[in-house]
Amino acid sequence: MDNECYLHKAKYVMLETRLLNTGLAKKVWSCSTMNTNELCGNNCNLFVGSFKDLGTVVKLLQEGLGDVRLFGYKFHKDRIEFGEMKDFDEIPTTVADIQKPGYFRISSTGYRFRHSFSSPKAFLLPPEHSILTVSQGYEIVEDGDGQMGVVFLGIKPCDRKAMSILDGILYGKSPVYTKRRDSIKAIIVEECLEPGETCFCSAVKAGPTISSGFDIAYARLYKDTLVFKYGSSLGEKILVKAGLQKAQDSHVKAYFEMVANAISMMNSRISRVEELQKALKERIGDKSFWEKVSSNCVGCGNCNYVCPTCFCTEINDIVEEGYSKRIGMWLGCLTYTYGLVAGGHFRQELYTRYRHFVLHKFLFYPKQVGDVGCVGCGRCITWCPLGVDLRDTLNLLVEGGTR
Amino acid sequence: MKVELQKGNYTANPFVFRKAVVVNKVEEAPGIYTYFLKFDGEFKILPGQFNMLYVYGLGEVPISLSNLPIFRNGYTLLEHTVRVMGAVTKAITLGLGIGSFIGIRGPYGNGWPLKDAEGRDITIVGGGIGIAPLRPIIKYVELEREKFGRMNILLGARTPRDMPYKYELDKYGAILNTKLLLSSDTPADGWVHHVGFVTDLINNIDVNIKNSVVFVCGPEVMMRVAVKKLLGRGFRKEDIYLSLERRMRCGIGVCGTCQFGHYFVCRDGPVFRYSDIEDYLWVEGI
Repeated sequence: MDNECYLHKAKYVMLETRLLNTGLAKKVWSCSTMNTNELCGNNCNLFVGSFKDLGTVVKLLQEGLGDVRLFGYKFHKDRIEFGEMKDFDEIPTTVADIQKPGYFRISSTGYRFRHSFSSPKAFLLPPEHSILTVSQGYEIVEDGDGQMGVVFLGIKPCDRKAMSILDGILYGKSPVYTKRRDSIKAIIVEECLEPGETCFCSAVKAGPTISSGFDIAYARLYKDTLVFKYGSSLGEKILVKAGLQKAQDSHVKAYFEMVANAISMMNSRISRVEELQKALKERIGDKSFWEKVSSNCVGCGNCNYVCPTCFCTEINDIVEEGYSKRIGMWLGCLTYTYGLVAGGHFRQELYTRYRHFVLHKFLFYPKQVGDVGCVGCGRCITWCPLGVDLRDTLNLLVEGGTR
Repeated sequence: MKVELQKGNYTANPFVFRKAVVVNKVEEAPGIYTYFLKFDGEFKILPGQFNMLYVYGLGEVPISLSNLPIFRNGYTLLEHTVRVMGAVTKAITLGLGIGSFIGIRGPYGNGWPLKDAEGRDITIVGGGIGIAPLRPIIKYVELEREKFGRMNILLGARTPRDMPYKYELDKYGAILNTKLLLSSDTPADGWVHHVGFVTDLINNIDVNIKNSVVFVCGPEVMMRVAVKKLLGRGFRKEDIYLSLERRMRCGIGVCGTCQFGHYFVCRDGPVFRYSDIEDYLWVEGI
């Protein structure tokens, strides 16, 4: 059945419009219409392997790149965080996460987790980072922060897209971001085949699969069955070197069915982005609406800190041993300080700050970087102490109703 | 003297500042001081652009250029007018005297569109400390008088004492083809000018409305009133320019704290054409 494309069959399962969201699906679609397709004739260039094979892939990558450090998701006090890994097997593989508005637990039954509370932003733009060290005589003391090589291992497509969004704002402008972004030598992505309850990546075209901007991507079909694909010549070289087998028809079929299911599950969770944007423009000055949807918000800024695309920072001077260290620190737009100036406050009322969070993601990012600034990871929903659900706000906007 | 306006660039690490020396300090009004800052090297900056001024151990504040820059004998001399508001401005005004060091980096922002204003009438509307970023325009028009049409200057303050640059206001009025209108919010002995808001004076503007530009700076409430009145008098949305302020930390569009709608005030502003911001200006807290 090699010549018959499973994807062709799958087109009845998957709606064309939804597929077009993923980029990957474009290829899928062309396959079913053109009938001859390099991707599908070759079983979509998918390879199959075990978790151990992932270890081999990472090892080969490390050998090829020289001295590199691994960064990815790992356990941290009953949660999963993004940070430096000692080895690839720190990726949690024997637990699942349960995420709901304002709720996160690790469950020992299951083997898929969605994502961490901290995102690659924690590496690219650390919560506290040195900007400058100044002497009392106003001389600049140079910081000797050494350059390093980094591999991102197993980041999710939503977080990968968040990096592109941050690039649009910060790359080439923020010294700390630019330096750290340049230090990333390779990116391995883990695609999500079963979305969590707070996820809606496919609705904002940020997942669950990835089509570009990575070296190697894998998805966990079953517990110890992974499908791999490459996204760069480096990735291709490594996969071949690792001796991975071409995926069989059954793997390809299962993979695309799971992707289609994930997409159809998530797409209905928020309204269409174009409709949202139209409604946001109309409701921009509707104070009572914004007061209503933000009525459960306490302005803690958790959503900002877990958001993979929030980038606002404050600069503080910390004086130590005769030097003033200028430190950049995350500043959430939901917190009271945002907009506060010595002579007054530009966003004194909480609803204006909550509104900015929503408007920025859906209306302002498109004007600033050419794409929606929300990647649908759902972190802001999961980690909100009050369980405020961004999706509720978005859906209310379009329905025009008030709860 | 002919002035050449050129937009400058910042250095590779944008947070590195220059070390400047305070060479003069003038008290303009209660709590308002003009600092004359001198440092080595050439520095290009346009009227309407601003610099970040740094005080050791405390932090930075964005302050507009308040006079045309001077560059000679290998050094630059800039004027910045500062009003005491928070920690840093207080540290500047109370702590820094002649001979003190201060950090300065910039220039940031876009500046007033003076090239586009050539051949047209100019109206300036300034309130309080908002007069500071408008002052270099007046100085520039004075030097390059033939390039511009009529000029109307409308300046207001809470009381006559609060008006900055009192000592040279007469000179503004004496510029060829220029009308100077002053106002004070509260009456005072010897005040012969308008009592009320500076925006009241918009009724008395005497320019060719169809061929003019308006530059406005002051408290945001005042600017909104000004826009309404200017539109009422028939000025076009595209001809009205406002200089806005926001919380600002970096000056280069990376700290995100100066966002105004989808604009970064530090990079896309601080000077905005009214037609570009009309969706935002009337929305509280946007």
